[in-house]
Amino acid sequence: MLFERSSDDRVIAGVCGGIAARLAVDATLVRLVFAILALAGGAGILVYLALWIYARGRRALPAAALFAVASAAILFALGLSGTALLGATLLVAGLVTVLAAGGSLRPGGSLPRLGVALLIAGAVIFLGRRGASGGFLAPGAVAGALLLVVGPWVWQLTVERTERIRLEERAEVAARIHDSVLQTLALIQRHAGDSARVATIARRQERELRGWLYGSGVADVESVVTALGEAAADVEELHGVPIELASAGDVPLDDRTRQLVLAAREAMTNAAKFSGAAEIAVYAEVGAEAVSVFVRDRGSGFDRATVSPDRRGIAESIEGRLERAGGTATIVSAPDSGTEVELRLPRSGP
Amino acid sequence: MKRRVVLVDDHELFRAGVRGEIAASVDIVGEAGTVAEAVPLIRELDPEVVLLDVHLPDGGGEGVIAGVTQERPAVKFLALSVSDAAEDVIGVIRAGARGYVTKTISGAELEDAIERVAQGDAVFSPRLAGFVLDAFRAGEPLGGDSELDSLTPREREVLQLIARGYRYKEIAARLHLSIKTVEAHVSSVLRKLQLSSRHELSRWAQQRRLV
Repeated sequence: MLFERSSDDRVIAGVCGGIAARLAVDATLVRLVFAILALAGGAGILVYLALWIYARGRRALPAAALFAVASAAILFALGLSGTALLGATLLVAGLVTVLAAGGSLRPGGSLPRLGVALLIAGAVIFLGRRGASGGFLAPGAVAGALLLVVGPWVWQLTVERTERIRLEERAEVAARIHDSVLQTLALIQRHAGDSARVATIARRQERELRGWLYGSGVADVESVVTALGEAAADVEELHGVPIELASAGDVPLDDRTRQLVLAAREAMTNAAKFSGAAEIAVYAEVGAEAVSVFVRDRGSGFDRATVSPDRRGIAESIEGRLERAGGTATIVSAPDSGTEVELRLPRSGP
Repeated sequence: MKRRVVLVDDHELFRAGVRGEIAASVDIVGEAGTVAEAVPLIRELDPEVVLLDVHLPDGGGEGVIAGVTQERPAVKFLALSVSDAAEDVIGVIRAGARGYVTKTISGAELEDAIERVAQGDAVFSPRLAGFVLDAFRAGEPLGGDSELDSLTPREREVLQLIARGYRYKEIAARLHLSIKTVEAHVSSVLRKLQLSSRHELSRWAQQRRLV
């Protein structure tokens, strides 16, 4: 069905209202087009009748016959000629193609290119033969009718497209704020008495928001630096020690670099749990040959010899993990000067 | 003698917080919330250091620097920001700020940074050091002025340690240098950052920008 007659927006039978609703344009415009076409030997009236018949019972044959008469009337008004016939055929074919292909002028709708091309070709041929025999009113009227119809469509399309993009962006921001900031504010209210927890929550939120606002914008691609940021945020939240992350360069996360991040996370956890430092600094550097991560605290430090061998954290989760991935872990620590864990993973495999 | 400091930030709450933390050790002689307020105020008060927010309602911190330096070249600017956008950071440094620290900095560290900037040294946060190392990546082809367009191995080493969270004193001890030498290296990097015509720098900062 090309269109449904409008039951509420009607002057005669709702044909114009229905077409207007289908094309998402103002019904007055459609009526104007029909009125102008009516000047061309009554063609507008015939077309209206044809559409009415078609819409009532889908009886295509009488409708087509009426169309043919209407076309003839238009052509007669234009001064019957081969060019006019061609132009008119193209215009009709274009309109039918657009409507039949489900083309819609609503935002987000598609316009079949073929239909548009046919319409334009038809219009050009009509305009091109201006000055030919016949009343000058009719070709001008047809061209004017076309402009009246097509102009607003194009204008509407561009305006609504911009508007739609703006609305989508707005909705995305609103969703983001809701999921993050509003939830965090609710959490903070609930834990208002626990200042350490509030600080951690606020910091995590800050980190997330910052990552979103100033991040790469390609949030779906996991990289070493984003993964380290997530690990840092987790450790921060679990143990309440702020972690400063700096970086130079970045690489996508793969199986090997994921091991590096996990080892770094373990180092951060150790620093947060045992060093007693007020903050932890993490620096990731992606060089031509290797990816390095440094985890440093200014805490109490420790002597490796005094760590009981059954504590598997350092040996397994840091050193062992890096070795399996083909890298090295170096731990420099001394009582009172803090600890620095250096994790180095060559870019090429082991 | 306390350092005379002007505080430029559009968040009254943040200014109050900073005042509370550092008022004991520096002399906060004035405060402003916009570029339009800040420029005449700084010209009139002629402070030693201006703590400058990167983002102000009527323009960036760069606008304040541009409006003041001609008349008061001795005023030092320390950029203070919540933004980690490389473009912002590099922008304000290239406009003439002597340093950049994030707003989460502790009071004691901020006092230390103000003192350092007042003495004419540069202050880099770990994150800024990371940015600079990334922008002046080793092995990339150099632009016109090679001295300004690349870091020396020593400067690279110093920046790496800053990025790793080391303080100047710790860097000096580790590299067997004097603190003065470390400061000189950082100032030299700052100068390169400000004067280098290396176009990769701005291109790089652009690429790091969001969306």
